[in-house]
Amino acid sequence: MSSERNTFNLTRRQFGKMAGAAGAALAMPGFVRSGLAQDAMNSAQIISGKKSGLIIHNEKLGVMETPLTLLRQYAHTPKDILFCRFHFPHEGEAAWYATTDAPSFPDWTITIDGLVNRPRQVKLADLQAMPMEKRVSVIQCAGNGRAFYAAKEKVGGGQWHNGGMGNVEWEGVPLRAFLDDQKLGVSGAAMWLTANGWDQPATPEGSDFAKSYRLGDKALDNAILALKMNGEPIPAAHGGPVRLIVPGYYGNMNVKQLTSLLFMADQSPSDFQSMAYRMPNFPVTPESFGANDYTLDNSEPTYAHKIKSVIFSPLQDDSPKAGPVEITGVAFNDGEGPITSVKVSSDGGNSWVEAEIEAAESPWAWYHWKAKGELKAGSNTLISLATDALGRSQPLDGLVWWNPRGYEWNGADHVDITV
Amino acid sequence: MRLASLCLTAAAFVLSVLAVPASAIELPDGPNRDLVYGKCRTCHDLQYLKESEGISARAWNDILDSMKARGLRIDDATRAKIYEYLSTYLGPNPPPPPAAPATATAPAADGKALFADNCSACHQPEGQGVAGQFPPLAGNPDIFANKDFPVYVVLHGLQGPVSVLNASYDGQMPPFDYLEDGEIAAIINFVRASWGNDANRPGDLTDLTAADVHRIRQNPMTADDVHQLRAGLVK
Repeated sequence: MSSERNTFNLTRRQFGKMAGAAGAALAMPGFVRSGLAQDAMNSAQIISGKKSGLIIHNEKLGVMETPLTLLRQYAHTPKDILFCRFHFPHEGEAAWYATTDAPSFPDWTITIDGLVNRPRQVKLADLQAMPMEKRVSVIQCAGNGRAFYAAKEKVGGGQWHNGGMGNVEWEGVPLRAFLDDQKLGVSGAAMWLTANGWDQPATPEGSDFAKSYRLGDKALDNAILALKMNGEPIPAAHGGPVRLIVPGYYGNMNVKQLTSLLFMADQSPSDFQSMAYRMPNFPVTPESFGANDYTLDNSEPTYAHKIKSVIFSPLQDDSPKAGPVEITGVAFNDGEGPITSVKVSSDGGNSWVEAEIEAAESPWAWYHWKAKGELKAGSNTLISLATDALGRSQPLDGLVWWNPRGYEWNGADHVDITV
Repeated sequence: MRLASLCLTAAAFVLSVLAVPASAIELPDGPNRDLVYGKCRTCHDLQYLKESEGISARAWNDILDSMKARGLRIDDATRAKIYEYLSTYLGPNPPPPPAAPATATAPAADGKALFADNCSACHQPEGQGVAGQFPPLAGNPDIFANKDFPVYVVLHGLQGPVSVLNASYDGQMPPFDYLEDGEIAAIINFVRASWGNDANRPGDLTDLTAADVHRIRQNPMTADDVHQLRAGLVK
């Protein structure tokens, strides 16, 4: 383990040098930033290559959300508008990932270690030569929709609405086959696989970001070591050069800039695995359960997407008129069974119609749906509520899953429109 | 056409606090706000605090514990002060803003305490810095580049690659312009007198005063400008 750490640190320094040698392009975002310090900051200045007008949640960390008016325009969410959420500042040695350009690190290495007979170091070039498969999957921040929990009690952190998600085509090497090929000799004592990325906390005392999966987790059967996003090498801002993609799992479980895979008896002690990004196993209230009351027994990591639907049109920005209206949107889940029904109301839930659902590209992609409704002069509330083949539905009131860190919002979507 | 699209862009920004650059986000005035400015921005900017405005005192308390797990370095006394500020001024029932700024004369600023509150999170308690991340202040010749230079750094921050004692750094120091003139003078005087730095002091260099900082504050600069200023002073 210690030798692995040394390698890692050395690699970090090398990257720092490489980033410096790559020259002005990488340094530019920072300079643009301060030069315009007194003007409105926009997403294009925070992460180079992003469109202007994304909703910024944290400039220093490059956290940004996609307005639905942009998100709805594309079948596959392009890199210039896809939401972004990193946990550590895009500064200094980490400035290289504040761009939608693909990073160029030919010596990138993934270390596979832990409870194995034969630890391995796999080079990016070797990975690129292996057979690849595509996975179209929704990628969604576990905090997407956090703002809606405020109707019960506001939860701290970025106040995401519905734009912390996208529908993305990933392509890479299937994880199980890859691990089998390495002939690791995994010990019977190994119960968990932990993925870690290159990013590091801002202070030496900070917890590193790592994610653990049960080795037997069936979701790993579909996981890939992704090298491409929407047909191109993965942008630095979205986890290139290698990102672990577990289709149907919340964004944080898809580790960016993958540098190590560890076979362990236990899950990672990282704060991001053991305390943050968890959901209580039972309904909680602000009085009964605080943000640090999570234990490994009373909660689960934010693994699989809860079933969810989001209304894409009409939105208030469309200035819709009174009269008949077509309501459109998307629905998705964890891929365990198809979305079978989206019920839609245009009168605040008094009456409902069944939406017409288009077939999805993959089990984990979003399903487009449309339904007819009626807008009247004055205020209207549109609602959408999805159900899947396993009988799982969105709660009409998502507040039933209020939790102190504000994850996994999946209440029936409500859109207020004044005509 | 161009004007129309500009207006649309402007309208989009007015919808939220997004229009404010992170360095310009201001929190409500209240005791110990400076501690929040000094501690929280090491890892993230203030927009998270702004977006969390209104959460319960318990939630703020829990967040402080979470942040300690994420690397926030504060002792219990500092934690209590920060908690008091957050739960009061960013809590569910904040007090109304004061009608007029307090005019009472401030006691003489304590450079050592101010350094601990505002600077030590990055530069470390003994000014030793963190390799590759935060330059040391102990033994750093920059602090005597000329009499005024460190004031510019504290007021406006510093951004861009620098080499200090043969090591490279490329971070972004935020501005600390919310500190009082006398406080900035006290911090720099403390740093110049600590950790053996005194040995590097030019014979004719006297301590900074609040009036010095007040004068320097009249020159508007960016962190980038300070980087260029440094390039002209430090070989």
